[in-house]
Amino acid sequence: MLSRAAILSGQNSRALVAYASRASSATASGQDSSKGPLWQRPVRQEPGKVRMGFIPDEWFTFFYKKTGVTGPYTFGFTLSTYLISKEIYVMEHEFYNGLSLAIMWIAGIKLLGPKLAKALDKEIDNYEAEWNESRVQDKETLQNAIEDEKKNQWRMEGQTMLVQAKRENVALQLEAAYRERLLEAYTQVKKRLDYQVEKQNIERRIAQKNLVDWVVRKVKASITPDQEKQNIDNCIATLGNLIPKV
Amino acid sequence: MGFGDYPAEYDPKVHGPYDPARFYGKADTPLAQVKLGELGGWLARRNKHPQAIAGAISRAYWRWQHKYVQPKRSGIAPFLQVVTASMVFFYVINSQKLSRHKNYKYH
Repeated sequence: MLSRAAILSGQNSRALVAYASRASSATASGQDSSKGPLWQRPVRQEPGKVRMGFIPDEWFTFFYKKTGVTGPYTFGFTLSTYLISKEIYVMEHEFYNGLSLAIMWIAGIKLLGPKLAKALDKEIDNYEAEWNESRVQDKETLQNAIEDEKKNQWRMEGQTMLVQAKRENVALQLEAAYRERLLEAYTQVKKRLDYQVEKQNIERRIAQKNLVDWVVRKVKASITPDQEKQNIDNCIATLGNLIPKV
Repeated sequence: MGFGDYPAEYDPKVHGPYDPARFYGKADTPLAQVKLGELGGWLARRNKHPQAIAGAISRAYWRWQHKYVQPKRSGIAPFLQVVTASMVFFYVINSQKLSRHKNYKYH
């Protein structure tokens, strides 16, 4: 199948591209041709939603069906009231220590948190971009190669058009040469025929002249002095007759 | 199943890459969907071998890791969770001693 014509027409390259895309689309997960994927590759999760910085959101939504939106807060408040009032949770000196620590923590998180998060996110993005760089570049190179290939195929189409135009041009030249030669042949033949006509005319003229000369000579030779005299007399008589009678 | 081995039910051809947060055995009804009357039966069906208990704790740990620690842009939540959990834990183990600091005699 690797004929020159096929390469020129770009058929093979298109088939190769199709092969390549099929090869890359084969998924990374386990594939059973008849039953589809057996397993999915685990993906990194999004961070779980939390309230107040650390309490899972599910612990709040768990209450919603029975108690509505305020339920979890009511539960937390009543539970802490119970624990404190029964002194199951004893408010000794460590509690106030913890309270001040909590205030410092909250202030620190609120003030520095967003900036720190921004900086760390940027670092993560940079790190990921670094790992991805070669892949992205490879992809870009391949994309460029595909673009070039397409452009070359387009140029190839242009070549066929050019060849067509050249063929037409050659045909025109051939036609012009043919007509030129036709004209040449015509003029040559006309020239020869003209020559013949002219020759015949000249021959006839000379022959006529010779004939006339010959006849004149013969006639002149046949005239006798008597006849000549008689003729002159006749002429004089005629001239005499021409003189108007007075 | 020796020390450091994968669970006996794990088969890479069927399950794909090993996920430490996943239970590969036969799934039972989740605890949240168990009715109170069936709770006894559900508890009786549990595997109470120390190895199984350790496995359950390990899976819970990895589930927590995947949800709060491993995500690409995890926040401060896991740190605060560890702090809070340790606060509660240490309060509980010290509660005997701390109860001597009670301020009121009668409640």
